[in-house]
Amino acid sequence: MVAMGVRAVQNENGWLGSHLIKLEVSFQRNRQVAAIRQSLRLIFPIILLGSLANFFDQAWLQQSGYYYQTLHVAKWLFQVRVLRQYLRLVSAGTLGLAAILMAFAVSYYLVVPVTRQTTNRLMAGITAVISLKFFNVSRASVLSLRPIKWVSANLGLQGILMGLLVGLLIGNSYRWLLNRQKEADLTAPLLLTSGWLMGMAALGLIWTTTQTASLNAAFVSAIQWPFRLPHFILGLFGYSALNSVYAWLGALGSTTIGGQTVATAQNLEAVLNHPGWHLPHPLTPHTVIDVYANFGGTGMLLGLLLAMLLVHAHQQSRQVAWLSLVPTIGNFGAPLMVGIPVILSPVLGIPFILAPLACISVSWLCIRLAWVPAVAYPLLTGTPGPFLAYLGTGGSWVALGLGVVDLLISTAIYYPFVKWHCQAQAQLDGEVLPDEA
Amino acid sequence: MKRKFTWGFIGVVSVIILLCLPGFLWRPQQRSEVRDHYQTLLAPVFLVPGSSATQNRFNALVTELNHETKSSHSLLRVEVKTNGQLVYTGSIRPGDEHPFIVVGFQNHNDGYQNILKQAKWFALAFNALQKTYKFNHFSAMGHSNGGLILTLFMEDSLDQKTVTANRLMTIASPFNLEEKDPDVDTPLFKRLTANRQHLPRQLVVYSIAGSKTFTGDGIVPFDSVNRGKYIFQDQVKGFTQITVTGANANHADLPENQQIVGLMCQDLLSH
Repeated sequence: MVAMGVRAVQNENGWLGSHLIKLEVSFQRNRQVAAIRQSLRLIFPIILLGSLANFFDQAWLQQSGYYYQTLHVAKWLFQVRVLRQYLRLVSAGTLGLAAILMAFAVSYYLVVPVTRQTTNRLMAGITAVISLKFFNVSRASVLSLRPIKWVSANLGLQGILMGLLVGLLIGNSYRWLLNRQKEADLTAPLLLTSGWLMGMAALGLIWTTTQTASLNAAFVSAIQWPFRLPHFILGLFGYSALNSVYAWLGALGSTTIGGQTVATAQNLEAVLNHPGWHLPHPLTPHTVIDVYANFGGTGMLLGLLLAMLLVHAHQQSRQVAWLSLVPTIGNFGAPLMVGIPVILSPVLGIPFILAPLACISVSWLCIRLAWVPAVAYPLLTGTPGPFLAYLGTGGSWVALGLGVVDLLISTAIYYPFVKWHCQAQAQLDGEVLPDEA
Repeated sequence: MKRKFTWGFIGVVSVIILLCLPGFLWRPQQRSEVRDHYQTLLAPVFLVPGSSATQNRFNALVTELNHETKSSHSLLRVEVKTNGQLVYTGSIRPGDEHPFIVVGFQNHNDGYQNILKQAKWFALAFNALQKTYKFNHFSAMGHSNGGLILTLFMEDSLDQKTVTANRLMTIASPFNLEEKDPDVDTPLFKRLTANRQHLPRQLVVYSIAGSKTFTGDGIVPFDSVNRGKYIFQDQVKGFTQITVTGANANHADLPENQQIVGLMCQDLLSH
């Protein structure tokens, strides 16, 4: 029966599909990966709330926001300032602490299978959080012997990967020790906890005295350095692929350098001061990637969301997709990344890298052959993905068409992988595969 | 089952289309919105010398500033003749986003009436340059009476709809002329305070005083410089007063004073 079932799955999914499903299942059965994915699902509600707050703040209440501009929010909404202060606080308390939550949760979930004692589990999580904080402390306050000030910048979405690594380190050491201990023994966990805390404090002090930035800040700037290179070295593909790989590993948030580049400014100047639509720099990461390969956030996540709704999706994934609808349409991808989770999923990782690359190729060709004008107007935050190009070009219907084509391409690329992902999930849940009919 | 999910797909697509509608309705006014918030790459820094100095007054200063800052900027000098004719020397290098433009006057004499005339001549030069180079924001520095000329220009002649003034630095500018008696208001000071509400709201102003003796920099009384607060305070976005002492703190040497060069790099050029 089982053999027949496996063969049926193979026939239906082809060689690639069945192997990917197998890979996904074995990858997710790995204890470390399982702990990470459990943690991501745990923090999903917090990330969702934070992303919603962020979305409303940036798209509705700021001058560069899509709804702020188009719905003339300033004219009818009162207390915008207070509302913004409130939403920023919400966002700082949710997204801003993602790294800490991940450090705690990963360490906790790693220890759960080896001990029944809640104290040990919690202590593993707490130790991870404190260890992470030892590296994120105000340098001046430590060196000048003033009261210690903790630094909370860079513990947000970009820090998820760092939190995850610290969680793995601490959690595994507890696992190793608890596996070798009797249940009721108190001294060993006590020794381990103090050992870690003293050791990490020493390392943290060494880091603080020798380095000017906190560990997370240093990490973030380290992963950003390739993006500081002139864009022709990295190329559009490299730019996008690197961004996707970082996001897939858990360094979410915008890793690229924001702000107005000289090329963007010159494009705008050319359009505003000269008749016609002749841009000096039609092909830049901004005019191609930001406009045509970033729907729903890094990795064309809007395509993933649509594919999820087309496929007979797994119950939980479908719920996550619906819940993440609003931020995803506004190009805030964090909820889908964390909720599905796309992070560290081999099957979804492939289209996550490929879909933007496909969209970049098509769009590059269209702009290069001057079939479609390049964008010059500033993009408004929260603009629905396929609509970005239309507004950026000042109302070009061809550009809107290209945006829709890119969305369809990415949905099509995601479609088979989402199917396989769902089957892998079903196997992991021990569910019976439902009929495709 | 499958049909239900296709409905979900159609639902999401309709939501996206619905959310695009405000954008379609807003698009006709997009161009003017973009234009309103648009800042040209070119944002020159105007330098205006004080009385009895020509448009060549700041040559050494510009060399010094270019030495101190990362990127060097080109220098254009304009002399306004008494008949309103403009004589240009030097040039703006293409691609230079913050060139220095020195505006000097054929009649560079001191005195209330002359200063009023010079402010009008400055406006003439400014408008011609703005038409030629099409910048829509700028910063300015005036030494001594140059600061008065710039303040008068910003109160009386600046068209705030087309051009934004970012920063203004006045160095030892005597807002009450050379009047030593703090109880006497000169006509110039009265005029500057009367029109102060015309000053640009978003302007950031730095007023630097030199202190050679305890009462002034040798030429301009400290009280006269100090009166800048009655003009700028609570009227512009930011107003900072700085007093510089030590070597080169007498009136004529102030633009080359190392502390002031440092302040110019920090407050005038770093944006």
